[in-house]
Amino acid sequence: MKKFLAFLALSMLAMTVIRAQTSEVESALKRYAELRPGDKDLAMYRIDWAPSLKEAQSRALKENRPVFLVIIHAKYGDLSSGHC
Amino acid sequence: MRPFIATSWHGHRNDPDLPGAVRTVWREKFGRQSGDGHGLPGKQSNVDLAVLDAKGNLVHWFDGFRRMGGHHFPNGQRHESLGDYTARELQKATAELHLEGTPKQEHPLKLPDPGLLGMRVFITLLEERMRAYRAPVVEAVDLTRNDWKPLAYPDRKKTIKASLLKKWLSQLYPPGVMERTDLQTKQVYRISRIRGNLTLEPGGTFNNIRYALLAGRIILSDEGPNDFSYEGDIEIVLTYSKTRSMPQSLRGIFDGIYPRYNPINRSFREVPLLAAFEALPMIDKNP
Repeated sequence: MKKFLAFLALSMLAMTVIRAQTSEVESALKRYAELRPGDKDLAMYRIDWAPSLKEAQSRALKENRPVFLVIIHAKYGDLSSGHC
Repeated sequence: MRPFIATSWHGHRNDPDLPGAVRTVWREKFGRQSGDGHGLPGKQSNVDLAVLDAKGNLVHWFDGFRRMGGHHFPNGQRHESLGDYTARELQKATAELHLEGTPKQEHPLKLPDPGLLGMRVFITLLEERMRAYRAPVVEAVDLTRNDWKPLAYPDRKKTIKASLLKKWLSQLYPPGVMERTDLQTKQVYRISRIRGNLTLEPGGTFNNIRYALLAGRIILSDEGPNDFSYEGDIEIVLTYSKTRSMPQSLRGIFDGIYPRYNPINRSFREVPLLAAFEALPMIDKNP
């Protein structure tokens, strides 16, 4: 009987530990779902970016489309990747 | 924005390879003596937006940040958002373009591709004073099988040096803020050091998928002067098949504080810096 009770106690302890860990996993996944930007927040990635003005103009001619050019008066900047 | 192909160009007025459209915009911008919607002398921003037709002819341009009094707004409005201002200026351009036949449907969402083993990091600086800084930036980090070895399934709780994960943790900085830059190159200082220990421990099994939790506090320092550092907490869930130690998915977050320097009053202001991580294609839906 003592052995059985000891086994039961250990089993319950193990279950408690596993459940506690699982709840931490659930909590972490919930935080991820909260912080991961949705499609609406990622609207910048719906813009059809070309990596350079030269490539944009080449594509514009082929596809008969206008170019939207962002001119930055600075030494460094890569707007398409989000780096000012 | 659908009809447009967007691109950016950066440089200075004395650059030898100034593109024709940029030359024209700046000649008009800096040559004007009075305001007419393109901006008054001394009040221009360093960002201009231009529309070119398919053949490369400049159709319309405007200062990226309007600089006119409220009495210039349409319908007597006192305020106009930057978005509304930009849309209004773009409408002026589209009126002059012949857009029949150009695609009108929305361009599909296209996030940077990290490759099969790589990591996507979604970084957001919760800056209250400049809303544009709140827009998330997505970084794609190429990783190899070796980069995943420290995150092999743990049979029991173990400690991992955060520096072993530097390849992707080093993306945890605000990429749209140019205050930690090299004065010569104007390049943003990269994260050079990551300190802290993370714990990786089993997180239970569900539907034959094994879970592990990676958590802890990390301190990031950049390569610039003054040992500039900031810190935050990592909380990441990894999944594994029953038989393999290599993770099959990763999802998690960074929750930190970035100290923004204010050169006017020479003080630091704490701004939340948040990130979400996701990697590996076998993303499971329900733990």
